[in-house]
Amino acid sequence: MEETDRRTFLKGTAVAVGAAATQTLDGWTTLATAAAPNPFEAEFGINDRLCGRVLERALAKGGDFADLYFEHTLSNWLILEDGKVNQAYGSVDLGVGIRTVKGDQVGYAFTQELTESAMLRAAATAASIADQSQTPAATAFVPARLASYYPFQKLLSAEPLQAKLPLVQGVNDRCFALSQAIVKVNAWLYDQQKSILIVTSDGRKAQDLQPRNYLSARVVAEKNGRREQAAWNFGGRRDLSFYTPELVERLAKIAVERVSLLFEAVAPPAGEMPVVFGPGLTGILLHEAIGHGMEADFNRKGISTFATMIGRRVAEPSVTIVDDATNPDLSGSLNVDDEGTPGQRTVLVENGILKGYLHDRISARHYRVDPTGNGRRESYQHYPLPRMRNTYMLGGPATPEDVLKGVSRGIYVQDVSNGQVKIGEGDFAFYVSQGRLIEDGKLTAPIKDVNIMGNGPKMLANVVTVANDLALYQGGAGQCGKAGQGVPVGFGLPTCLVKSLTVGGVKQQGA
Amino acid sequence: MSREMLDTCAAALAAAKKAGAKDAKATLAKARFVDIQYRERKPETIKEATTQGLYVEIYVDGRYSAQSTSDLRPAAIEGFIANAVAMTRLLAEDPYRSLPDPRYYQGRSSADLGVFDPAGGALTPEQRHELTRAIEDAALAAGGPKVISVTAGTSDQLYEMATLSTNGFTGETQSTVYSAGGQMTLQDEGDRRPNGYYYVSTRLRRDILDPRTIGQRTAQRARDLLGAKKIPTATLPVIVENQGVGRLLGGLVSAMSGGSIQQKRSFLADQQGRKIASEQLTLIDDPLLLGGLGSAPFDSDGFPARQRTLIERGVLKEFFVDWYYGRKLGWEPTTGRSSNLIIPPGRRSVAEIMKDLGRGIVVTSFLGGNSNSTTGDTSVGILGYLFENGVRTQPIAEMNVADNHLKFWQKLAEVANDPWIYDSWRLPSLVFTDVVVSGV
Repeated sequence: MEETDRRTFLKGTAVAVGAAATQTLDGWTTLATAAAPNPFEAEFGINDRLCGRVLERALAKGGDFADLYFEHTLSNWLILEDGKVNQAYGSVDLGVGIRTVKGDQVGYAFTQELTESAMLRAAATAASIADQSQTPAATAFVPARLASYYPFQKLLSAEPLQAKLPLVQGVNDRCFALSQAIVKVNAWLYDQQKSILIVTSDGRKAQDLQPRNYLSARVVAEKNGRREQAAWNFGGRRDLSFYTPELVERLAKIAVERVSLLFEAVAPPAGEMPVVFGPGLTGILLHEAIGHGMEADFNRKGISTFATMIGRRVAEPSVTIVDDATNPDLSGSLNVDDEGTPGQRTVLVENGILKGYLHDRISARHYRVDPTGNGRRESYQHYPLPRMRNTYMLGGPATPEDVLKGVSRGIYVQDVSNGQVKIGEGDFAFYVSQGRLIEDGKLTAPIKDVNIMGNGPKMLANVVTVANDLALYQGGAGQCGKAGQGVPVGFGLPTCLVKSLTVGGVKQQGA
Repeated sequence: MSREMLDTCAAALAAAKKAGAKDAKATLAKARFVDIQYRERKPETIKEATTQGLYVEIYVDGRYSAQSTSDLRPAAIEGFIANAVAMTRLLAEDPYRSLPDPRYYQGRSSADLGVFDPAGGALTPEQRHELTRAIEDAALAAGGPKVISVTAGTSDQLYEMATLSTNGFTGETQSTVYSAGGQMTLQDEGDRRPNGYYYVSTRLRRDILDPRTIGQRTAQRARDLLGAKKIPTATLPVIVENQGVGRLLGGLVSAMSGGSIQQKRSFLADQQGRKIASEQLTLIDDPLLLGGLGSAPFDSDGFPARQRTLIERGVLKEFFVDWYYGRKLGWEPTTGRSSNLIIPPGRRSVAEIMKDLGRGIVVTSFLGGNSNSTTGDTSVGILGYLFENGVRTQPIAEMNVADNHLKFWQKLAEVANDPWIYDSWRLPSLVFTDVVVSGV
């Protein structure tokens, strides 16, 4: 292959400047459809013949299959501090990851140079996981037909800076206007566009263009010498039409209302008690309590607490939990996963019965099922693993008021900032940045900064009431970490009651 | 190699100047690594690559941005930077943004920090496989009949970096990191399958623990989790094991940065010169530590490395203040972030200390939790074991510790003699008294 000149498109600095940069990005802004031209072919001559040669090298020592993952990603941050948008950061990343798979063994190498010689070298490194004779690789590749779960008119990263600066400035100005108590505002707009091409040795290929962006506000307020902070963001796989003045106003209001409430917070209780989850972002509960444990790599190795539970009743019949790539414009939505499997919805728990795991190609072969489209990776620098997308519980028959009514003393979780799980024990935790006490079925004093813990299977069995108000988190900053790789994910939950969890407050009950 | 890297930086600076930038700083970083993992006595993953990236900070018309790219060909760099400069002009002015005054670059130590292995990071493929296999074998041998799965891994990494600024800063570093470790999952009662891990990193290959010890400790850490339960909420002495102390200290250190102080998000902002911890706590940042994983001759502003005492016998002495936030605060800059953080070790071992404490808890790891840098409130899940009169009696899990940092560190009663040397934060086990541990 000829060494194609990358200059024309890499000079596109991460933040687009007016028309000039938009032009250089045009090759990457076509919609992801089977018929769309392959931008890697236009820029680098990455065609079927070349891919066939690299895949053949990746299987030179045998193996079940090999795949190529081409990626070009632009990321931009526009940051406001002390009243002005006076910082910008950007990055351009380009490379190809080459994987050889033999059973559950993986050889992986990547290169940032998209030349035939560099790719053949990387393929030879990946091939070293196997030790037998050449496995044949396809030389022609059928494009996957994919749905479009995040259609856009124009990528946010291709919009001129002048269209984006007022959003960030607006967040600052509205926050200060809404409350005299606000002393600091940080606001930022993050946007990323990721273009990928996946080519597999069994003769398939898929390409996608994945936008990801969010507008974020973090505020500090001061009252009577005390300070509190709160943050919120809106985003997902959006275009500029999402970021309206109304959205800026809503973002500022949420941040300011939340920080104002914190001054009234009382010491959170400690010990086991009923916990009611408000709708939305609180779905992190499911991500930690069941989602990770259902990732099939942990189960194929027998190291998840859920490893022998498929088909068992794990929850009340009102509980159905899914992991879904098909929700419009959410952070975890995917037209295609990073192994070329089309985006789809996977049921984890159906009417209380544990149904199936989240698979990548390796675990799907192990269990002799179809992959579920959960093979994801942070970038071309990593091999894919089973990962979640948007994980949420479907609504139940109750009303939110019914759910609260059942609790005489407990806590209500409104915002959650982070969580963690130990896969094998099933023990999980999440950090409540904001909530309320529940007294006699009513929400009372605010609480904050408290870790809540439980055990996944026990928690599922303890979900006793589910309301009809499922909300999916509309933020864009949700990120999940596993094996050193971060991927964007989404969350959702209807209001629901968990009979008992351990609340890590400071105030002992009865004390 | 390094001449070539500085030349690339110089080309980037020239491109920035040509595009109209007043100042610029260019950093070129290269890395080469090989990671392998074994499971079921065969390689589970082998991963190998070389990466490179150019990071350019641009100062133009009183405005600032920073951009990175992995395309290092001269023509590509020039176009990339011209566009970056044009974009930067559209941002708002920031009067505090500038390269540091060059006199702050002076006084750099030329001492060998012992961070580069003469072997240059390269193990032979045979050596890597042999080392990893040996860890797995030792873990399996020590794991007993309840083993479900063992994964062993090793990694060797080589880093090269060159930095150049338009106002006279030049810096180059070369370093290596070797890592080795294992993790083990065991079958416990019912559906509980506890997972323990043990992992070490060093600058020099000869400092890596022998594979047998790594495997045995992996097994020990997994076995220590068997039968873990919640116990009733109680007020007890708590020993936080060396490997876990960084997690606690992180909540304190994040509030010590100039950025969080200037942005009014630090509960320590008004505490300089005050006693924020018991006299047992002294905290030192030492970028010159021989062989330290955080050692470097200069920081990200280009300031020469220097040892600093941040907390002395409980009194908060210094913050982490970089050039930019120093200008915003009107303070003299120190250094922007920690390098090797050290709590000087005490005299006694954890085993000796346990004998004197009656009934208490040793915390071996954490679950979830967070710390609010604005208020100092923190709440975190703990795992570990209960002891009585020096003897381990019961593993614990799903329990929690919550407090405010300004109160919690006053409860520090003793520092043990066992600093964890396989991390840039070299911290010994710490003993706290009267800690509320919530459970059932």
